[in-house]
Amino acid sequence: MQNQEILRVENLKTYFNTDDGIVKAVDGVSFTLNQGETLGIVGESGCGKSVMNLSVMRLIPSPPGKITGGDIFFHGKSVLAMSEDELRDLRGNKISMIFQDPMTSLNPFLRISTQLVETLQLHQGLSKSEAREKAIQMLRMVGIPTPEKRIDAYPHQFSGGMRQRAMIAMALSCNPEILIADEPTTALDVTIQAQILEIIKDLTVKLNTAVILITHDLGVVSGLCNKICVMYAGRIVERGSTADLFRDPKHPYTRGLIRSVPRLDKTSHERLYSIPGTPPNLINVPECCPFHPRCEHTMDICCGKFPEETDFGNEHRTSCWLCSDGGGSGGV
Amino acid sequence: MTKYVIQRFLGLIPTLFVIITLSFFIIRIAPGGPFSYERALPKQVLENIEKRYHLDESLLVQYGRYVLDILRGDLGPSFRYKDYDVNHYIKISLPNSLVLGLLSLSLAVILGISTGLISARRQNSTIDYLSMSVAVIGISVPLFVVGPVLMYFFAMKLNLLPTSGWIMSGDRWTTVLMPMATLTLPYFAYIARLSRASTLEVLQSDYVRTARAKGLSEPVIMFKHVLKGALLPVVSFLGPAFANIVTGSIVVETIFRIPGLGRYFVQSALNRDYTLIMGTVIVYSAILLIMNFIVDIIYGFMDPRISYR
Amino acid sequence: MDAWRRLKKNRMAIFGMALVIFYSLLSLLAAILPIHSFKHQVLDHQYLPPSLTKTAGELLYERQENTSMDAAKNEGRNELNEKEKEELSVLKQRIENETMVFDGKTVKVHQKRYFLGTDALGRDLLARIIYGGQVSISIGLVGTLTAVLIGLIIGAMAGYLGRSFDYIAMRIVDIMYGLPYMLLVIIFMAIFGRNVINLFLCLALVSWLTLARVVRGQIISLKNSEFVQAARVVGASTGRIVFRHLVPNTLGVVVVFTTLQIPSFILMESFLSYLGLGVQAPLASWGSLVRDGVDGMKSYPWLLFFPGLTMTVFLFSMNFLGDGLRDALDPQSKNRL
Repeated sequence: MQNQEILRVENLKTYFNTDDGIVKAVDGVSFTLNQGETLGIVGESGCGKSVMNLSVMRLIPSPPGKITGGDIFFHGKSVLAMSEDELRDLRGNKISMIFQDPMTSLNPFLRISTQLVETLQLHQGLSKSEAREKAIQMLRMVGIPTPEKRIDAYPHQFSGGMRQRAMIAMALSCNPEILIADEPTTALDVTIQAQILEIIKDLTVKLNTAVILITHDLGVVSGLCNKICVMYAGRIVERGSTADLFRDPKHPYTRGLIRSVPRLDKTSHERLYSIPGTPPNLINVPECCPFHPRCEHTMDICCGKFPEETDFGNEHRTSCWLCSDGGGSGGV
Repeated sequence: MTKYVIQRFLGLIPTLFVIITLSFFIIRIAPGGPFSYERALPKQVLENIEKRYHLDESLLVQYGRYVLDILRGDLGPSFRYKDYDVNHYIKISLPNSLVLGLLSLSLAVILGISTGLISARRQNSTIDYLSMSVAVIGISVPLFVVGPVLMYFFAMKLNLLPTSGWIMSGDRWTTVLMPMATLTLPYFAYIARLSRASTLEVLQSDYVRTARAKGLSEPVIMFKHVLKGALLPVVSFLGPAFANIVTGSIVVETIFRIPGLGRYFVQSALNRDYTLIMGTVIVYSAILLIMNFIVDIIYGFMDPRISYR
Repeated sequence: MDAWRRLKKNRMAIFGMALVIFYSLLSLLAAILPIHSFKHQVLDHQYLPPSLTKTAGELLYERQENTSMDAAKNEGRNELNEKEKEELSVLKQRIENETMVFDGKTVKVHQKRYFLGTDALGRDLLARIIYGGQVSISIGLVGTLTAVLIGLIIGAMAGYLGRSFDYIAMRIVDIMYGLPYMLLVIIFMAIFGRNVINLFLCLALVSWLTLARVVRGQIISLKNSEFVQAARVVGASTGRIVFRHLVPNTLGVVVVFTTLQIPSFILMESFLSYLGLGVQAPLASWGSLVRDGVDGMKSYPWLLFFPGLTMTVFLFSMNFLGDGLRDALDPQSKNRL
């Protein structure tokens, strides 16, 4: 299992043209993904995480959205430069995506079998019966009982958890190199959440699939991912291995997030912590640290310029003036 | 699925009964009916008339007779045209109306859906603006303005098309053109707008996004994933559209002097020939109910959420 | 309000709204506008074509001249003979001097200008169109408001009370939906006579269905929301909850329904008038004007075109306005033009 780099995003910018102005949903994001890694992208609603991942597969609806800067490299090849045919070969085949709401993400008018089989027929050139066999196999792998009977059902005949499992089966059926999971458990009950995450973990390890997991839930991320990127207002403010980040979070936002998680070992007399203020409007964002209005340690320089990245070693980096002023600069 | 079909079929029956009952009472009770004669008739004649129309029996018996007659297909005698009964008039006029209505609606559906789909795919392009403008005009201009205007230009000024006559009565085939154009226009317009809107909505849906994320090609996405969802509202519309087109055809038949059921209906309304009026209503309603039933079945086939519970 | 801002951006809708306001003003102020009366008949002036510059007298004179010339040509002459010239000059005298009394005022009748021409009885078409507009628009308005009232009450109660009331109400709606409303209306008018009150009543009776269904749907989805629970906890009565809390939240759909139903009503009324079952003489609506126009369409096309055009433009504007309102009040519909 070489740790070969398969995906590299460089300074990606995705803007949306709306009636009220230009929304800078993703404003200069860079990260890399290696084979077999699980990358978690954490942030509040509206910070741009979903947009970023849709951009990777160029699924942004083109009016009004547009990738205005940066590039995405898959095995060194530019995704933005790919032709339609190459893109279609990429999607569902080398990079797959599962979405937040399985009820609306599955076509209600087609049977589950149809939706699974079409991907297999398209990307793997299987015949209808071969594809059906494989599809049943996949459904079994995700834990759906008696798959050979249930495969002919319609999505509305499945429960929420089962639908998400079917989505996972569909996404992994062509053995992609990367699975992008956009808040896969947000719409489900907590007990089902755990099951779904288990399935994702098992299968991706078994198939050696790299995973990008998008979520706002730190608990989910800590259980599944080995690398984390924290996003805020369209930019990555801190990144590092899961262990590093939880042990020693550098950015005030990350610290705030971790503090907000209610803990069983605290007494019930303490108020729950929440980061004061609200996320910024992504229209007309000025050139500054986007978190400064809500930050306890804000300084003058924070309003003027977006902080440079400071490296703490072992890929642990953060963009914060606090750290670059006093903290370790340069590094291994 | 079978359960659904049966459910729907059973739903027709109460409606039909309501109509038949209403019809019976209206004929008997409405003023100015067959029982007001132009001149006073001798007692003997009155008695004979009463006997012939079973008016001497109790109301309940009369009702029973009426229902049975209808179920046997006998809609009673016309009160105005004393030589013929209602069945006769309906027999000679219904086919004309059916042909006109079905042809127009079919054309409207085919043109409307294609236009709507193309407009939605190429949103905000010239072809989109053009077709949607035509569509708004189509639903704004009343039928009875379009008809005469067409007649004025094509028949009177340019002399290209005949002003009246009907293909099924043996006249030239060009007689269908203007009536069909008139009747098709508003439905084409409505269906085009409707299918454009619903296609747009489907194109923005999550499941189309999933289909794209799977790498499916545009034609496959359009025809396999988008079409069904986009067409559902149009199918829904077809039910009331049939009802609507009955109204429209009444006007078109009057303008172009087509010997259809609508014209007889209007005449009988003006003449207060109640048996003919109600006979027409029953026939129309029966046809509508059947059409609605068929539409419901088609809808059930298309939307599994309804028929597979 | 947000919706107003969205509406303002939709140019076609604003254009439509402007036209609708224009029409409404014209109708309201018709009595004081400097136009001819809609009912005064000057039989001499029948079937005058529209003209922006020539007076009735000039048109009459021209007409007489042309007829005489045609007659002369038929006889092989190129000039009018004495008798014809005499007739023309008598006509000229009359034109310059004849007066009629209208509403107590003496007027030189042949000096009138008829911008849109006249009809079979010498009545000014422009005035009749404006007057017809009054009738048509008020039928549309009153009819729609009645339908809204019925639909709102029944729909809201069906949605909120549920169970048997809902069941029965929806059965009735289903049955009535299946019947072609025109047939019902025609029957109604045939039986109960053709006056305006009946017209309102029966049109309203068949149009409340859609609104009832839509309102019921809204109410059902709002029924279990928190503000309703709060009201119940405080002890509000059912009536109060329904009418004071729930109904105002359906305002959006009601407004859209109203703007789209008014043109529909006007159309229905025009259909009826066209068939002879709508407004009766001496009242005139756009529908009856078109009907009168169709009869003489070959020789006097203006009698058909102007009422038809006026009506079309109005319906057109209302449709645009209605579309714009729907888009503005429901921004999630992504079918902007």
